[in-house]
Formats: sequence, C-alpha cells, structure tokens
Amino acid sequence: MLLAQTQSLCPVCLRLVDAAYHLEGDTAFLRKTCPEHGTFQVPAWKQGEGMPSFTAWRQGTRIPAYPAHPATDIRHGCPFDCGLCPEHVQHTCTGLIEVTMRCSLGCPICYARSSCSAADPSPDDIARQMDALFHASGSCNVQLSGGEPTERDDLPAIVAMAKKKGFALVQVNTNGLRLGREEGYAQTLRDAGLDSVYLQFDGVDDSVYRTLRGRDCLALKQAAIEACGKAGLGVVLVCTLVRGVNDAQVGALLSHALKLGGHVRGLHFQPVSSFGRFPWDMDEAPRITLPELMANLEIQSGGMVRTAHFHAPSCEHPLCSFSAVYARLDDGTLGEPVGAACCSGGTSLAGESPRVVDNAEGSRVSRAFTAAHWASPKGGNAALNDAFSRFIARSGADRRFTLSAMAFQDALSLDVERVRGCCIHVVAPDGRMIPFCLYNLTSFDNHPLYRPVPTTGETR
Amino acid sequence: MSLEPNFTPDSGDWACARCGAPLEQIKVQALYMHSAFAVILPRCPSCGLTLIPQSLAEGKMAEVEALLEDK
Repeated sequence: MLLAQTQSLCPVCLRLVDAAYHLEGDTAFLRKTCPEHGTFQVPAWKQGEGMPSFTAWRQGTRIPAYPAHPATDIRHGCPFDCGLCPEHVQHTCTGLIEVTMRCSLGCPICYARSSCSAADPSPDDIARQMDALFHASGSCNVQLSGGEPTERDDLPAIVAMAKKKGFALVQVNTNGLRLGREEGYAQTLRDAGLDSVYLQFDGVDDSVYRTLRGRDCLALKQAAIEACGKAGLGVVLVCTLVRGVNDAQVGALLSHALKLGGHVRGLHFQPVSSFGRFPWDMDEAPRITLPELMANLEIQSGGMVRTAHFHAPSCEHPLCSFSAVYARLDDGTLGEPVGAACCSGGTSLAGESPRVVDNAEGSRVSRAFTAAHWASPKGGNAALNDAFSRFIARSGADRRFTLSAMAFQDALSLDVERVRGCCIHVVAPDGRMIPFCLYNLTSFDNHPLYRPVPTTGETR
Repeated sequence: MSLEPNFTPDSGDWACARCGAPLEQIKVQALYMHSAFAVILPRCPSCGLTLIPQSLAEGKMAEVEALLEDK
C-alpha cells in the first residue's frame, strides 16, 4: 500500500530520484528506482503491536521557516544547493562545528570517517565558522564536534570563544576518554564556559565497546561522567544503536543512566546509519527503526517508559526523531512524562488530531528546551516558601530527564522532504551550513555528497 | 500568621482603578494550565482586581509559565 511520496537519491550515483513509502506487512519501506542502477528499498518505520503508525506519526501541516539570510542560490534543487538555500524550511536548532578530524579511537563505525591526518582548522578558521553560524542562525546551540574535539589542546579556548560569541548552549561531542583520564580536564572545560557534554556511551559492558569502538572504554567513560559531575557539567549519554550489538541493552542503559547522578541530563539514541565508515554492505546494514526502539524501551524498562509517552518533534521532520521528558523521582526511577520534550515544542501526542506546526516557533522552543535540559544542573538554593518556588524546585529542568532518539538518513534512507526540514546543521569549512545527514551522506562506493574527501589514503 | 512571602508592589501605594479602594495583601489562587498556586498578592478587597508586581511577573511567574508550557 502506498503511504506517501517523496524524493531521494540513487545510493550508487547520487542522482535525484522519485521515492515512495510502501506498507508491506507491518513495515513501511522507502522504495526508489534509479533508471541506471535499479530499485532499492529500506525499512523506514515498523508499526507492529503497540507502535505508532507511520501515517499518524507523520501527519500534520508545517508552516515553513525559511532562512533569514540564505547563503546559496537555488541552482540544482534540493538536496544539491545547501548552504542553506532559500527553500530550506527550518531554522537551526544546533549548529555543528568540526574542530578537528583527528581521533583517539578510530572506531569501526564513524559517520565522520575520523582519524585522517588532515590539519586542524586554525582558531581563526573556527571563529569564521562561528560567525557564519551566528549570522545565519543567531544565538542557537553550538556543538563542537569532529573527529574527537579533545584531541585539540586549545579546546578550552574554542569553548570560551563560542561562549563569548553568545551561543545559547555550548556542547562538546566526545568519546570521553580524555575527560576520564586527565585529572582536572572537565573542570578546565567548565571554567572555559562549557555547558554540556554529548558523551558517546553505547552500552553497559565492554563487549559493546570492543565491537563498536575497537577497544574497552567503559571504565574511562564512567570516570568521565564522574569528573563532569564534579565539575558541574551536564552530560547527555549518546548511544549508537546497532541491531544485534546493543539493542538488547537499551533498558539497562536507561537504568544505568539514572544511577549516575542528576548531572546526567538525558539518554539519546542514534540508530546506526551507513555513512562514512561502517563494517557492512550498506544494503545489509543492521538497521533499527524508531518504533522498534520505542517498543524495546518499553519492554526492557519494565514499562517505566512507554511507547505512548513519546512525542513526534515539531522542530525537525516527524520521521527524524522521538522524545519524552520525565520527572526524576527520589528513588532513582522516572515518574510520569512531563509535557513535551526535546525538539517536540509542546506538540500533541501521536495519534491525536492533525496539527499545524509553525516551524519558526518549533525551532525557537526546541532551541530553548535543549539549552535548558542538556546544560549543567543549576542546583537549588532559592527560598522554597512560596507556591511558585516550590513548583519550580519540584518540576524545574534540573529535576528532569530526557529520553530521545534521532534517526539519521544515509544514501538508502534519504528522504528529501526530511532533510529540507532539518534543524541540525554542520558548518562546513567554507561557512556553508549543511543539514547533518547530507553533510555525512556517502554513496555505495563511499563518495561523499558534501563532506570534503579525505586527503590521506583513508578507506572504510 | 502565614509564613508565606507577600508579593508586594514593587513601589508605591496602589488603589483599585475600578473601586478606588486601597489594595490589600490577600491570598489568591493563580490558575494556569491545570495548575493552581496560592500566593499572597495585592488585591482589591471589594472587586477582587489583583495586581501582579512586575518583578514577580517577569521572574518566578515567567519561570513557572515556561515550565508549564515546557518552553
């Protein structure tokens, strides 16, 4: 049964092709045909028992929020004109700046294909990228990424520069090894103005890290989390989810995250995509769709979290993510979900009547939400002797935990409608802003659509 | 006597524009999005018109509003 039509790319030659979602059994597949390379399909949304349906989750009308200062013209059409072009329909929630391509791990799976020996951008280059981001998107959240940003000894200065330029939330995306190993490093970053650590955290035992990261990591990651807590840094645990590797650990990850302290602000899942470096053929990737993850979370948490808790986003495209925000209870478990969550911007629950979403408002709310909920907890010392103060202490962002997931799109799963609404933008070295998935997208033979080709003999 | 703080006007003596009566510090229910907050605010004892001091409106009240709206 035909569910929806869109456009995509041929995963071989990256030409634009028509694509459609078809329901077969309980799974919606994205299917497309290239006149030269044939037909491809990929599971996009499984809607088994208790899972939200593709149609209900995707429904709703969006009011576009076009770039105030588009950096590129429309020449070849989406997705070939990114910069952003005047037809992009969502503002930036988070802008990524890759401060190095060096990495201390060189994982078997890496969207950025890190570890190549390309020279780091200079502080002036990074300042120009930040200025381009601020000019285009104002005081959005900024994530310093890579590569492994902590490979740069001047990272504290870069954090301070981002803070000084006025970004709402400054976050570092890291494997955590240096934070765990180097005494005082977390405090140095905190003192420089860092708000939040986006910490790669894939599992609760080292077998997962040996598979995904090529070595044991758990002890250092635990040490990193402890160091961040002492330094007053907020931490979001980020799990790259691979079927057959760690999809049986999502419940254990959640209970583990809740034991680590109030500074661990959330757990974020990224079902694996096939771009950059990955150890399988793209059409045999161990994919897991968002509804399957929702169901796994419900089962493995013993019902503490439920599929019905999760919201579609109103910032990015509905098929890109889900999230819920919970009140933390004193016994270390989660209470009922409180309102909307990360990037959902106060949306109605899936399954309710169709809604109209103002993308500009969705973006503004999502940006503020991320800044409040993923940053360091503020700690409470306010007088609690009036009703407003008691409410703030009881339900403030500091007492909340966000549970979320984002499905990235690779050359097989790319949906042009989704990337047009993307709110996570990578600032390219030349200052153009490229939706995250398009920046990292690579063809079957590993040819990138946007990311500069590695200058060394790096292969996947 | 209540130990709860009085949210008094930021400055000046206020009278009700409708009744002319001076405002008194009275416990009122502030309702918003299915939540109720009992707070002591300057209020007209005659008609119930209530003054929200600017500092409260822009401070704790705005914070509570944002939390309720989850902004």
